[in-house]
Amino acid sequence: MLVQDIMTRQVVAIGPDMPIKDVNALMEQRNIRHFPILESGGSGPARLTGEAPDDAVDRLVGIVSDRDLRLVGAEHPMAPAGVAAVDPVRRVMVSPVLTAHPLDPIEETAKTLREHKIGAMPVMDGDRLVGIVTGIDMLDALVRMSGVYEAATRLEVEVPNRPGALASLLAAIAERKHNVSSVMTSRADAESVTFVLRVSTVDGRRLAHHLRDAGFVVLWPIDKTPTS
Amino acid sequence: MSEGAAPSGGSTPSVRFVYDASLAAYELAPEHPFRPERLELTRTLLEATGALDREAYADVGPLTERELARVHATRYIDAVKRASRGDAGDEAYAFGLGTGDNPVFPNMHEAVLRVCAATVSAVELVASGAATRAVNLAGGLHHAMHAKASGFCVYNDLALGIRRAVDAHGLRVAYLDLDVHHGDGVQWLFYDTPDVMTIGLHESGRYLFPGTGHTYETGRGPGRGLAVNMPLEPFTEDASFLEAFETVVPRALEAFRPDLIVLQAGADMHRDDPLADLSVSLAAMGASYRRVVELSEALTGGRLVATGGGGYDPYRTVPRAWSLLWAAVAGVTLPERVPETWRERWAGSSALPLPETMVDDPSSWPPVPRRATVSSHNRAVAARLMEVLETIWAERGTDAEATRHDDREGPG
Repeated sequence: MLVQDIMTRQVVAIGPDMPIKDVNALMEQRNIRHFPILESGGSGPARLTGEAPDDAVDRLVGIVSDRDLRLVGAEHPMAPAGVAAVDPVRRVMVSPVLTAHPLDPIEETAKTLREHKIGAMPVMDGDRLVGIVTGIDMLDALVRMSGVYEAATRLEVEVPNRPGALASLLAAIAERKHNVSSVMTSRADAESVTFVLRVSTVDGRRLAHHLRDAGFVVLWPIDKTPTS
Repeated sequence: MSEGAAPSGGSTPSVRFVYDASLAAYELAPEHPFRPERLELTRTLLEATGALDREAYADVGPLTERELARVHATRYIDAVKRASRGDAGDEAYAFGLGTGDNPVFPNMHEAVLRVCAATVSAVELVASGAATRAVNLAGGLHHAMHAKASGFCVYNDLALGIRRAVDAHGLRVAYLDLDVHHGDGVQWLFYDTPDVMTIGLHESGRYLFPGTGHTYETGRGPGRGLAVNMPLEPFTEDASFLEAFETVVPRALEAFRPDLIVLQAGADMHRDDPLADLSVSLAAMGASYRRVVELSEALTGGRLVATGGGGYDPYRTVPRAWSLLWAAVAGVTLPERVPETWRERWAGSSALPLPETMVDDPSSWPPVPRRATVSSHNRAVAARLMEVLETIWAERGTDAEATRHDDREGPG
């Protein structure tokens, strides 16, 4: 899965001279928390990418989030000094901007968002703003990747960290004619890897039993031992 | 519809057992855990105890494909029919067919259509006023989705029955699911429907298929607040199960004010069920069925349709559980002991010795682990669930009243 598969393509961008109070109002109105700031956007109204034919010449100069605006004008030690709500947004915008490329794998982008503790990255194709990707998009992608929308039994199986170990696990499941809706790695070290699988069967316990008999270490579901 | 407008007019209410031998044809595979013999085992047990009279039997009526298509996608119905003829292509997997859980068998379409027709017949009997209560033990296929077979269920007889009650009779339907697995198919099919409330008590999706049925699944749009999910901890015992039932079910029904209750009575909450982990006994299951009948007397003029469902201890648990269900619905008392004639008849078929008493004795069972934790967890979940739902119900209150057709023609 790539950034272009999960990004929002219709980006609301603003100019650096838009007053902070207007930016606040726009956030509220659009229910958006991040605006990329384009140089030729001036102080005019916000617009969507693709609306103006000269998008290609707009230069990305900054980004602003609800977090940057929250304390403007507040009596608070962390409030930006000497900035008022009537001032242009360029006074509080973050620059330079960390950006993503449409063909970046989403796990790379997720790592960047996390390492820099930021909530969104504009997606740039060369000089052109083509989208925006947020932490929420990452969460949506994770939900989809987990296969949680399919009715299933969840299995956690630990296999040796060596070639073919996952293949033999999947072969053992296929032997019972069950479909696997997702496979994820939950943990790995030098010796072993733990996979979380979602399998389309009501009888997960019987499948677990079958896998244990075949020598697999099934961590979930746990054995039904009500008596001990 | 005004309350207490029971069509029976005060005499013994008519209670019907929808049945014919063709219902046992829904056998997914010879070694499959979903056993159609459960029907015959229960029916013969009820006859042996004298609880089921000949006059109670009702025929299975017709169900058209047009009506089937009100719940299921045409392309899915076509795929089921092709698979039934031994012509399942690779596309069958996309419809959940041909897997270990939902293998394809000859005449599958016809067999499952028959099961659905039986549930629709039960609903029709009650909605039309011909009967007060009706039972289809072959029904309860609550996992079947709009365009997918799932969890041993090909078509969703419950959703078809509910659709009949809503569309043809204008009824508000409360669906109560006591199967140990969450009734996801029915829930999602009516998730944004204002005329149908779905209520389920089940083992938590954290531990069990299908993985859903969390408290925060509460319905959407016009159906907001009309999906009620009470997930129970593994090893939940009688007292905690009944406590959760009492906290959630009566209040939810009262808030919704249904005209008809449809009960899915899967028998797999029982301690001896091999596919799940609750520790409920037959006594508590019977008590919950009697309570549902009592609530239907108070809230729907007695109108109740009950089906079977899961239950994978076919010889020992299921026949007794569903006998208790029929006894509750028919208002009859069962003997304490399992009739010797029945035990003799089936002794050769069961791998384990058949039970001697109609209910089991939980005090003889080894204590479950973490008993206090299980109960207090269930209690806390039920309390939080009701707190959330009460808020939603208060919000919908006035709207719901405004759109409710109190002057609508009722059945009978």
